[in-house]
Amino acid sequence: MPLDEDKYPGETGRRRFVKGVVGSAALASVGTGGAAAVNTATSVGGGGGGPTQYVAIENTDGPAPRGMPIVPVEVTSSGELRGVFPEATTEEVGGVEVVVAETDMGGITYSSTWFQYCGVEQYEGAQPDADADNLLRASAGEPYAWQADIDAGTPLTVDMFENYEEWGNGIGEDGLGKPAGARWRSEAEGAKTMPVQVLRTPELPKMINGEQGFRDYGTLPQGIRSFLDAATDQKFMAWLNKCTHFCCVPGYKQLEGSANFGGSNGVYCQCHQSIYDPFSPVQKQFIARPRPTD
Amino acid sequence: MTEDTTDADTDEDVRTDGSGPGIVPPDDETPTWGERKTRREGLARLTYEYFERARSEDQELRQESSYVERDVLAFPTWPHEMIRNLALVSFFVGMIIFLSAALPPHIGPPADSSSTPAVILPDWYLYWSFGLLKLGPLNPDISLLGGQKLMADRTYGVLANLVVVGFVAIVPFLNKGSARRPVEQPFWGAVGMSGVVFAFTVAVLSVKNLVPMDSHLLFDLTFLLPVVSACLTYAVLRSMREGYMFNLNRRYYRLRPPK
Repeated sequence: MPLDEDKYPGETGRRRFVKGVVGSAALASVGTGGAAAVNTATSVGGGGGGPTQYVAIENTDGPAPRGMPIVPVEVTSSGELRGVFPEATTEEVGGVEVVVAETDMGGITYSSTWFQYCGVEQYEGAQPDADADNLLRASAGEPYAWQADIDAGTPLTVDMFENYEEWGNGIGEDGLGKPAGARWRSEAEGAKTMPVQVLRTPELPKMINGEQGFRDYGTLPQGIRSFLDAATDQKFMAWLNKCTHFCCVPGYKQLEGSANFGGSNGVYCQCHQSIYDPFSPVQKQFIARPRPTD
Repeated sequence: MTEDTTDADTDEDVRTDGSGPGIVPPDDETPTWGERKTRREGLARLTYEYFERARSEDQELRQESSYVERDVLAFPTWPHEMIRNLALVSFFVGMIIFLSAALPPHIGPPADSSSTPAVILPDWYLYWSFGLLKLGPLNPDISLLGGQKLMADRTYGVLANLVVVGFVAIVPFLNKGSARRPVEQPFWGAVGMSGVVFAFTVAVLSVKNLVPMDSHLLFDLTFLLPVVSACLTYAVLRSMREGYMFNLNRRYYRLRPPK
């Protein structure tokens, strides 16, 4: 005897039919509603992402998957620091017009897709055709004591870095260079801030020439060295200061705790203890995220 | 059997379902409790004494007890239960209103994605999971893949959560938890202790940047301490059996109070 034989009301063909119709309707509405909810809660896939070769400061320890991309720097005639952003051009790919910002930098293709990770691809400043301010401006929050008397937003100038050869703040070795926290292409109304770390270091000429310095730069490949030659100016280098792991903003010689993880001379992320070495630029590949298109 | 049923004076014989005459004495032959009491010997007397003793012991216990027996099964929802519930509800609503009025509103400035505070941690009860994200050194380099890792360290950390949750989910199927005291099952006591200690050490590992200790030593201790504590627990429980005289009293320890 089946367990539900004496159920009331008894099973009838009509009842089974109604239950089937109601059940399938409920399932269908759950499916449709779920799809609609996912559709409204997520943004549409954009364009301009994909596999990207870039030059990074190497990730040497911790859970981060790769290094942070280097931002090419140049010094203007008035002594201000400017991050180079490739010129945007419109190309036709497969019958569709796309805006591409890329340029040749010492034999390596420098592209705006280098910065398309961690949500930066949605920032106004990271759009290839954005008319943004390329000057590197002092960031808010005084990451270094010497930046205390520099207002946030002031363009960084060469004369602020006069003592770069002996600068130190008690973390790691002195004389490796003088850092500054900066922002880049973020001056537009309502634009999100792209954090950039600037470093003026006496190691740069040795890296470019492949000499023995703080590290043995003879192992740097020729392509990297010529990229560095083109992407740095007056011993200034810079990188986008977004940890590739979970998008925190780490710091070069900012936290005492970095010594416990072998990062006192490098960039240390306080979230999950990733370490990056600015004196070891490497070429890496990653999948750039697509920019939002509207 | 057919011969029995055809027998003249016993046309209704014992049936397999227990009914019928022959086993149970007819009502007029069954001794009453009064008759059992008056008899001085035999099974009837024995059963009388047995039940009488149980009853009187029960009565004595009831008389010694301070518990007041009532002939009340429950109180009616209205008004009794409702009045009590209203009192409770108004107390808690009052507490919420009081707290919301007394505590200052805490709405911080909007999150700034362009700077990260020097100390950044999840809530303390998530430390264990946060610590599992830092298991990168356990992620093996597979030589088949040319020394590469099968998955990224961050994926590995997330999957480690599944391992821990999976283990916690499996334990009830391996051990029903019928032991009333740890000495009964020292092994499972040790497993439980190592789990408790691991929850603590992995939580400490998650804040390794704030612990004044070499981080590699801390990482090793995270996994060694649970094992050490398991061995200790097992040894202590086994030696405690001596004091319990466990082997002698095994049956007693296995006894469970009646439902």
